Amino acid sequence: MERFQYVRAASIPDAIALLNEPGLVSRPLAGGTDLVLITRYEKVCDRVVDISLIPELHQITRSRDQVVIGAGATFSEVLENSIINETAPLLAQACRLVGGPQIRNMGTLGGNVANAAACADSIPALVCLDAVAAVITPAGRLEWPLSELIVRPNQTRLPKGGLLISFSYTVPPPGSRGEFMKLGRRNALAISRLTVAALGRIDSRGCIAEARLVPGSAAPQICRFPQTEAILVGETPSDKLCREAARQAVAEMTAITGRRWSSEFKEPALEAMVYRALCTVFNLCQAPDGRPQ
Amino acid sequence: MKHEIELNGQPVSVEAPADISLLHLLRDYLGLTGSKEGCGIGECGACSVILDGRLVNSCLTLAAQAGRRSVTTIEGIRGPDGVPNDLQQAFIEYGAVQCGYCTPGMVLAGEALLAHNPSPTRSEIREAISGNLCRCTGYQQIVDAILAAALRRKEV
Amino acid sequence: MPEYRYIGKPAARVDALEKVLGTARYIADLRVPGMLCSRALRSTLPHARIAQLDVSPALKVKGVLAAITCEDFVDHGRFGYPVEDMYMLAWQKVRYVGEAIAAIAAENEEVLEAGLQAIRLELEPLEGVFDPREALQPSAPLVGPHPWDSAGLPRGNLLNHYIVSQGDPDAVFAECAVTLDEEYSTAHQEHAYLETEGALAIPWPGNTGLTVHCPSQSPFANRGNLCRVLGLPVEDVRVIQPPVGGAFGGKDDQLYQTSGQVARLALLTGRPVRMTFSREESMIFSYKRNPVQIHVRLGANADGRLRASDVSLLVDSGAYSAITPFVAWRGTIHAMGPYRYEACHVTTDVAYTNNGYTGAFRGFGNTETTACIEQAVDELAAKLGFDPIDFRLRNCLRPFDVTPHGQPLGEDVALVECLEKARSLSNWDRRREEIARSQPTEYSPGDFRRGMGVACFFHGISLGAEGADSAGATLSINADDSITLTCGLTDYGTGSRTVYALIAAELLGLDPGRIQMLCPDTDTALDSGPTVASRATVVGGNAVRVAAARLNSLLNLAAADLFGCLEGQVSRDGELYIGPNEEPASYPRVAAHARKMGLTLSARGRWSVPEIHWDFDAGRGRPYFAYHFGAQVAEVLVDTGTGKVAVTGLWAAHNTGTVIFPQGILGQLYGGMALGVGYALMERVNFDQGFIQETNFDEYLIPTALDVPEISGAFVEKPFAAGPFGAKNIGEPGMVPTAPAILNAIAHAIGRRVRHLPANLERILLGHDLRKEGSNLACKLGLRAKVT
Repeated sequence: MERFQYVRAASIPDAIALLNEPGLVSRPLAGGTDLVLITRYEKVCDRVVDISLIPELHQITRSRDQVVIGAGATFSEVLENSIINETAPLLAQACRLVGGPQIRNMGTLGGNVANAAACADSIPALVCLDAVAAVITPAGRLEWPLSELIVRPNQTRLPKGGLLISFSYTVPPPGSRGEFMKLGRRNALAISRLTVAALGRIDSRGCIAEARLVPGSAAPQICRFPQTEAILVGETPSDKLCREAARQAVAEMTAITGRRWSSEFKEPALEAMVYRALCTVFNLCQAPDGRPQ
Repeated sequence: MKHEIELNGQPVSVEAPADISLLHLLRDYLGLTGSKEGCGIGECGACSVILDGRLVNSCLTLAAQAGRRSVTTIEGIRGPDGVPNDLQQAFIEYGAVQCGYCTPGMVLAGEALLAHNPSPTRSEIREAISGNLCRCTGYQQIVDAILAAALRRKEV
Repeated sequence: MPEYRYIGKPAARVDALEKVLGTARYIADLRVPGMLCSRALRSTLPHARIAQLDVSPALKVKGVLAAITCEDFVDHGRFGYPVEDMYMLAWQKVRYVGEAIAAIAAENEEVLEAGLQAIRLELEPLEGVFDPREALQPSAPLVGPHPWDSAGLPRGNLLNHYIVSQGDPDAVFAECAVTLDEEYSTAHQEHAYLETEGALAIPWPGNTGLTVHCPSQSPFANRGNLCRVLGLPVEDVRVIQPPVGGAFGGKDDQLYQTSGQVARLALLTGRPVRMTFSREESMIFSYKRNPVQIHVRLGANADGRLRASDVSLLVDSGAYSAITPFVAWRGTIHAMGPYRYEACHVTTDVAYTNNGYTGAFRGFGNTETTACIEQAVDELAAKLGFDPIDFRLRNCLRPFDVTPHGQPLGEDVALVECLEKARSLSNWDRRREEIARSQPTEYSPGDFRRGMGVACFFHGISLGAEGADSAGATLSINADDSITLTCGLTDYGTGSRTVYALIAAELLGLDPGRIQMLCPDTDTALDSGPTVASRATVVGGNAVRVAAARLNSLLNLAAADLFGCLEGQVSRDGELYIGPNEEPASYPRVAAHARKMGLTLSARGRWSVPEIHWDFDAGRGRPYFAYHFGAQVAEVLVDTGTGKVAVTGLWAAHNTGTVIFPQGILGQLYGGMALGVGYALMERVNFDQGFIQETNFDEYLIPTALDVPEISGAFVEKPFAAGPFGAKNIGEPGMVPTAPAILNAIAHAIGRRVRHLPANLERILLGHDLRKEGSNLACKLGLRAKVT
């Protein structure tokens, strides 16, 4: 007895039609790294619709200051892409730290977002870029900022029968610098214990013009930390400022999660990682491995 | 469902359920037992194959996803007349094989790396095999073997 | 060092070809027509009485051909060594989650699941015990069936008690300028062989006997158990070992059960029956390395002389004893470290609990105790202001010293050389000085800190006082002049087949390429005991040496006859035999002549370990006939902001005697050290009320290629007279000092001790462990059938 049927979609309209065929529960299959695992234990759908070979879903294009990434782009395709490396290296960094080579070759940004695991690695980077997700449904096209698309771990606003088709972001202004950090229990094939995505820019006066901070695996919601960002904007970067912002980030995390069994560990670890990420982003004296220069 | 795959350079067609993994198809329907199951959840790499030029975990890939695409397994890595190719020979020479269970996956990871990066550093080799667990060798002689093969291929 | 032709020269592993081609057939690759698949019904409770068990409904499921319980075996399928407390299938009660209760054979996987569901099983929960200290309280629930068993083992849950006793440590402590009094602990470790377990039983025509293919480490032990539980004579059971995808000590007891189950099912159905396992089922039901809790007291003079030690160990055996009694004994013997003491006591208690069960794992007790004593010694050295290597050099065992057990050592002791070699290889002095110079003593959280640590150890060679210790080998020349070698000791990736071929080649003066070793098979090999305890090179190698010497003398006899001279006048030049008039004859020519003479060109050899003895009551004796010594240095970079430790360097120097197979010995060393990295930093099986929390590699983490640094290994080839060509061993010793070297390096880096393994993120950052509440979920899911 087959658990599910398989069909391959040749194009986006083809995929929408297949996903919405009445009488069947159909789910999109991109890389399969999540779906195949879930179906090991439970029945999830009657049919999988393979969207991994639709060319438009792998395209990464730039038009002036807008970059559009096909939701079917694999982690490998993203991290190898020159547009991404030029405009948003922190996203490439995030993709490079996912799992191992095999997972990166199959797993997709769209799959990572649709699965919405609390520890997903690409999501903090995309949220840090204020990425907007585009979804096609039979009724038409919908868009959400990514932080609003994901409601809580493993739950998104993706409508049934809808298909994520792309993520777009505005290229950060010249002078912006980003950083992505991951803490795992080992150096590959590791679930993120904590991640930090940060982006910053200093203006001509040497003050912080922009600061974006998105911790991951820290709270059920993956979002920017506005209170921490507010401490930074307008100030002159300094070691003291970064430490203060790091403490604020911890407070902001605890305000969202409340005190949990893991707080005793996550609080100091997040503080250390945010401090380091901010020092890097604002070009303060830190060697790449964090050692004082 | 009929699965049609270009397998190790030859077209292959086999009737099998739609919901099975590529690993299951290879091992149980095609009798190609070189790809191993170590964990079933994509965390050890013993099942690695090359799909359209990319290293993937065949336990996490549906057989159906490989339809009309090119798959290379360890059975397709050979020199002429079925002898080991230069990378496999290097594995033998450099002591990269102990129990041998991770070896097919490691050889494929090596081949996939060298196809994209003919001059890898030891660091890059470690990254390329970071999705393949080995419990016997401590990885070092595997890195030695892949590096030696890379250097030899450049000479040719 | 004498110059050899093949010993110590580059050589290719004899069994690597099929492995790189992917044609090696492991147990999961073996298929025969008509083969049935099988599965066991396993306990989902840690401790329960089997109130009802009726497997007959399973037989009503179409496609299920047989269903068995413990009653399908002789004496309920009871077996076990050294304690007979295990059963092929559970008898009367279950003692751990995952214990096999019944087994069925069916035509296909789908039907198997339906068959298992049909079995009527009623388990009546019993109170469990999950802490070994609690298990030894008089009020603790009993895990074993009787307070005393027929072998007279102790009451209650106390399985074993061991001591070492020399002098009066308390009296000496009173005189010591500095003492140390600390507690350490290690955790359960999972073997994580890449290949899970399996067995295939093929009955003979008329069910008169059977062959079992099984990747267990000890085919003769497997056969012995099968004969007993099936009630069959030795001639009617054959056990063959296919290529093994890693073992590390972990492929024994549960494989004997699996073998017994498929064998019984095969005899009932008259068809081949195979059982293989998902990773989850394997991790749940197989045994682990035992955790230990260790209390160490040490005393030394101000001048750095170590004078007394008092160590007490508590070992968790889990639900069954398996080989843990021997593991705990070896741990006891090594618990004080490789040092001279005026007074030394060790006390060990081994307790039954319902935390899975524990058994052999590389290092076999010494890994656990060295991880603790080497930290304690390091702490004491720091208290005294000594450099860690200098302190060890001051106190370590040297040739002809007497051990704390009262054993005089021989001249083969090379621990000083190993410490000095590790020191120079790692550039210890310069690096430690650079760290001291560039790194302030005080630091803020979030700083990265470098550290370097050392650990040294000794490791008794072969079984010691565990019992009879010998191996047998055979060599025979085939009609085509190729040579067939057998030995009862097996190679599960460790390289012993190549070592044996090289030994035989050297003695026969013939190219190793002529020598082919048969796969381990109880029909063709000679019983050589279990392949454990790093005994393959010494014990098996010596047996091969004896057989080769005998075969060689036959060939010499034939050559002498060919030349018309005396045996003593025949000399060799490579493969050629040279007569007194310098006329050469090739090996094939000599072999042909031997056959013409009517000689039979085969020989066997057996070698037994010299006499050892251990007085269990007095805690004194000669526990092992010789020891391996070694030292390792680790360098780490600790992120004090997150607790992450990067091992940035590893150096090893081991007293291995002659190196026979250079590539092989390095591979074993690197592999052992990688295991040590995992043991030190990231590996732990968590039991929560008897339920394993980690059932696959997403949660149970072992080092990847990015977690193990480049390793430098060196071998002190001080000849060991009793070993073949002067060789000792490497298998387990490679792993033993790695974790404490890393833990000592961490202490050097952060100025604080992590005394409990693994030194995970939380213990480094917070100074204590932090875990979320466990559940039975992983076990529940893991014991369900998976879809692939």
